[in-house]
Order: sequence, then C-alpha cells, then structure tokens
Amino acid sequence: MSACKHDWFMSNLRHGFLVVEGCWECGARSSFFSAEPIPPIDEYHEGRHFWSFMGSFQTMKFDLECRACGTRVSLDDVNGLMLSECKDRGCQVGALNNQQEPGSLVYVALCADSTHTTGECVSGGGIEALNQYFNRNIEDLGRRVIVVPCKMCNSVDKCRGTVIVDVGLTDIE
Amino acid sequence: MKISELEEKAGLRALNEYKDREVESVYISDMVSDIITSAKRNSILITLQTHKSLIAAANLVAAAMIVIVKGRVPSDDVVELATRTGIGVFTSDLDTWTFAKKLVQLGLE
Repeated sequence: MSACKHDWFMSNLRHGFLVVEGCWECGARSSFFSAEPIPPIDEYHEGRHFWSFMGSFQTMKFDLECRACGTRVSLDDVNGLMLSECKDRGCQVGALNNQQEPGSLVYVALCADSTHTTGECVSGGGIEALNQYFNRNIEDLGRRVIVVPCKMCNSVDKCRGTVIVDVGLTDIE
Repeated sequence: MKISELEEKAGLRALNEYKDREVESVYISDMVSDIITSAKRNSILITLQTHKSLIAAANLVAAAMIVIVKGRVPSDDVVELATRTGIGVFTSDLDTWTFAKKLVQLGLE
C-alpha cells in the first residue's frame, strides 16, 4: 500500500465517441471508445454475439496521475460514468443510493461489457483513484461523490441514471 | 462575489433553491466532456445546454452555479437533480458573449 496521499490530476486525455452496440441474438449490450473522427457503425459476428450499432455519443477518456509520487492509474477499462438514480432496494447500487445523505451522489463507472460474463469490470485501483480524485476538494461543501463499478448493478442496461456524454450538440437553436 | 449578489447584479432568474457561496472563476462550454476536464471548483458554468448530463458533470467538478443563456429553461427533473446537488441553476435572456462581458464588467475574470 502506498504511503502517498495522492494528488491526482487527469492525464492522457482523449476525446472521441462512446459507441454502444447491441446483440440482436441475446440482447446483450457492449460499448467501446473510438478515437476515430467518425464512429464506426459496422455490424459483425463475434463468438455467440451478433453486434449491431445502437448509438454513439461524444465523450472523453482519461487516466489519473499523482503529482506527488508519479503513480499513474490507467482508466482504459472505464467507458463512462453514470450518475445513478436507481432506488431499487434489491440492487447494491440502489441500496447505496437509499443510504445517502443529501449532497452525496453515486456514480457508476461503466466497463465495456454490461453482461460481465468474463467476470471483469473496472479495476479496484481505478475505482479508488476516481473516488479520491472527485472528492479531493468537496468535503467542506458537504458533498460526497461515491464511484462504484458497474458490476454492482443488478442490470446496467436497465439501471436508471444519467451517463455523462455529450448529447444535443446539434439541437442548439 | 457571492452567488446571490451575482443573481441580483446580473439580472439572473433562479430556477431552484441553492446554497449561497463565493464564486471564484468562470467557465463557458456546451460540452460536458470539456466541462468535466477543465472547469474548476466554485466556478460559474455558462452554457446553452439543459440536459441532465450537465448537472452530473457540474457536480463532479464542484461548480457553484450554472447559468443557462438565451432564456433557455431545463425540464423540471433537471432542476430537481441540480437541487439535490446544491448547485444553483439560473437563466439569463442574454447570449453567451453578452453575459460574459457583463461578468467582466462586474469584476469577474
């Protein structure tokens, strides 16, 4: 365990698209980050899945790096952050939401595979760093940000929440 | 300058109850991916956007207030979410540039 009280900053900033695909065979959803100028919309077959394009949103990816000790935490496995509005007592994230004081909000860090069939999700080190980063200067404001991995959701695909992506950029009058 | 003072001097219309506090900087953007990487704590966010993602991002950067320009008004669920975060949401009839000039005239830079 590091003795450093990390002073995180965002590094390796990349702007691009969050591309969401769905399997029309089993209903699974998958997402990936694309740094291409135009997000890919190809349909393809992968194992038991038949992926087709569902949508894309402008977003960004970043890593966290400590000014004090130089530690760098890769957040490659984080495809997005979702502000959870789940209140389902049968879901760990919903239960966590129900326990929070006003001013404390739960964000779900989304990995690429909503089905979690491989058992993988956002790393524990990434979750810890995100919590430290987003809470670094809000304690005196009576706010708290709680970041949890999406494997805690009963179903990410059905979870009520707001994914932080750019929408409506072409709708501005 | 405090939020309440700015509300009065800049002719803003508050859309929710907010925690009054000092504002320290200004950030103008219509992209949440830009806000989340560049806006500062206790900042005024000036934008044309009215969606929930804006509030989710503003909370992460600990923004003090959001000013939506050109008289645009977000839906009730967006305002309700902002209230939960303690972030004041205001609307101004001015466009972004005119509102930014007004802030400079009031001593905010």
